[in-house]
Amino acid sequence: MPPEPTPLRPTGEAHRPGATAVLEDAAAAVAGLDALDTPTTTTHPWWRRALSTALPPFVALLVFMLVWQLVWASAITEEFKIPAPASVWHEFAGTVEDGRVWSILWTSVSRAFLGFGVALLIATPLGLLVAKVPVVRAAIGPLLSGLQSLPSVAWVPAAVLWFGLTDATIYFVVLAGSIPSIANGLVAGIDQIPPILPRMGQVLGARGITSARHILLPAALPGYLAGCKQGWAFSWRSLMAAEIIAAGPLLGIGLGAYLKEGSDFNNMPAVIAAILLILVVGIGIELLVFRPIERRVLRARGLALST
Amino acid sequence: MTSIVERTDRTDRTGPSAMALDLRSVGKTFGTGQNAVTALRSIDLRVGPGEFLCLLGASGCGKSTLLNLVAGLDGATTGEVVLGTARPSFMFQEPALLPWLTARRNVELPLRLAGQGRRQRRERAEELLALVRLEGQGDKRPHELSGGMRQRVALARALAAATSAGTEGDLPGMLLMDEPFAALDAITRDVLQGELLRVWQATGTTVLFVTHDVREAIRLAQRVVLLSSRPGTVVGEWRVGGGREELHTEITGRLRQVITSHAA
Repeated sequence: MPPEPTPLRPTGEAHRPGATAVLEDAAAAVAGLDALDTPTTTTHPWWRRALSTALPPFVALLVFMLVWQLVWASAITEEFKIPAPASVWHEFAGTVEDGRVWSILWTSVSRAFLGFGVALLIATPLGLLVAKVPVVRAAIGPLLSGLQSLPSVAWVPAAVLWFGLTDATIYFVVLAGSIPSIANGLVAGIDQIPPILPRMGQVLGARGITSARHILLPAALPGYLAGCKQGWAFSWRSLMAAEIIAAGPLLGIGLGAYLKEGSDFNNMPAVIAAILLILVVGIGIELLVFRPIERRVLRARGLALST
Repeated sequence: MTSIVERTDRTDRTGPSAMALDLRSVGKTFGTGQNAVTALRSIDLRVGPGEFLCLLGASGCGKSTLLNLVAGLDGATTGEVVLGTARPSFMFQEPALLPWLTARRNVELPLRLAGQGRRQRRERAEELLALVRLEGQGDKRPHELSGGMRQRVALARALAAATSAGTEGDLPGMLLMDEPFAALDAITRDVLQGELLRVWQATGTTVLFVTHDVREAIRLAQRVVLLSSRPGTVVGEWRVGGGREELHTEITGRLRQVITSHAA
């Protein structure tokens, strides 16, 4: 039997006979524990996930259309109160054909986005101030959460008197609707940070701005995102309220004005088409913009639901 | 070792004979006047470089206050805290990992805050993760790891912080551990105690370990210091050698004495 080559070992403890065996044993114990304790996750194939999320709302929509069609066909009420689904579709198709729908959508959506963007720029520092400066919180904290329950439609008459029938009125109402939500979301997000995290940051050497950048803001992100989502819903709602009430030649035709126009001409299919469009845009932005961001943020933190 | 190095500057390089930590009649009082609560009274304690010291005590002995003073999170009311190592780093009962960062980025964070370059800190993080036996797990997020693994990531991060604070990277740091294994199950705790000893031997860091478990203290430490409660003062000190069972009996008896003295 050839002599075994002496393995090179680091100096110190490991030179004792049996020390390597102990070390290997410990390594195996650690590996075994890790294997046993690591949380397991089950993943479903993508088509099953798609099916389980897309099918129920699709069926619900189908049922709704069926009921609508039946109610119309049974002629319980007059035609001008509940139009046929088909005539609403024709109204919608008409606006698509003459291209009007794009200008209507663009007017409203661009206003909502611009308003929401400005609201973000104002609400974020405001929320940070309220969350981190006790005096500011005591002074305007209650007002900020109170403003959330004030329907922003209430601002429309005042805004019309201040700014006339101009875009300024519209933007004012949108901002008044969304700023409190976003700021409150950020405040809630910061309040919910486990105190151990900023303490940990301090121990690791993060102070002031660095602490805000590396610890506070990322930790508050889920709450902030929830606030943004609500802020978007509020700004879309406020925009529609403003567009319906404040109509004028300077304002152009948005979704709200289109709805008002339908109502003024007793054109029920147009009214229903407008309502559905408002709904579709609101849901669409939420699903296409906010849902993916939120999902990513929550999943990174292990907070997302399994679906 | 009778010479005490007069030094308060933390980043100063210290000679081999200097203490890693020197507490000179340190006291801490919270509040003033009638409501004042004295948490610590005239603590004298020296910890040598590379030493593993356990602070043992019942509730209210000011263990955590003491660690906060050493970490510089709080200032002493009386006395002086003199550090001979780089900035001490902390490990808590909870891992306190940032849930949005991967394990590796968590370990990198103190290096990043210290201004190290991307490549350098990545290498160092991988090295430290390997040290705590988490090779190849660096891309996982905290929620994908078990409790014991998370606490090992926290250990790697604390080591990263302990060795990155000064510009002199070779200066062994100090780990302050506030009952780091108390929230783990018994099996994991046992394994991690062994792991901590291995890492301590491999890195040469000074460890100040707070616990209220006598057995844990005896298993880990070279020296056990018993603190009384309200206010915390040093009431006993033992060097751990052979005869651990006798030592366990002795320390437990002394601890019981301290606790019963509060019954009145």
